[in-house]
Amino acid sequence: MGVTITDTPFDPEDALRDFRLGVGDAGAVVSFTGLVRAGGHDDLRLTLSHYAGMTERAIEGYGAAAMARWSLTAWRVIHRVGQMRAGEPIVFVATASAHRRAAFEAADYLMDHLKSEAPFWKQEQSGDVSRWIEPRGEDQIDLARWTVENGET
Amino acid sequence: MIKVLYFGQLSDIGVGAEFALPQAINTVAELAAYLGKDNAALRTAIARKGNRVAVNTVMSAFDAPIKDGDEIAFMSPLSGG
Repeated sequence: MGVTITDTPFDPEDALRDFRLGVGDAGAVVSFTGLVRAGGHDDLRLTLSHYAGMTERAIEGYGAAAMARWSLTAWRVIHRVGQMRAGEPIVFVATASAHRRAAFEAADYLMDHLKSEAPFWKQEQSGDVSRWIEPRGEDQIDLARWTVENGET
Repeated sequence: MIKVLYFGQLSDIGVGAEFALPQAINTVAELAAYLGKDNAALRTAIARKGNRVAVNTVMSAFDAPIKDGDEIAFMSPLSGG
């Protein structure tokens, strides 16, 4: 349960097994693993930074909101920071609930918030070129699904 | 003393520091003006659209009040996880 931000590689399969063993009386477990994509650059390095303390608290807030909205029995977020290469897991999200729909939706909700609201900053390096990644409009549209469709403000 | 931090692209330009809060500074905006006073690159970078600011790790407005002991973080647009 809860959030871990780590600068060392993690194994999403281990994380899923650990999560499943602590979900209580759940009938559904959903997990999502995000990987670093090469995007055509074989030597790509991705460096992710966060604001220690603030980032964890923001994610705890998304987890608590998802827990209440979908009556989850458990949720888990693991997020890498520091330097990564293509193929490495960058994020793991898992949710558990009595029935599948709630777990699917809550995992989607957590990912949308991680992608657009959580204090993370990304830098890509390839060869000698380094550039900061700007927020994507699509992520804001994804995030808006949870407020517009559902009548929240 | 206050602590000033920079995140994202702003961290390429601003250098985090701890210093005594000058008496005339009572808001984030006043602090930003003070920090950019002799540094045009930082002044432009801090004023960039889409930047966020946190006071003691809570997202705040640029006109939010600050006081001695606060930690103020200037953040470039969040790029997401």
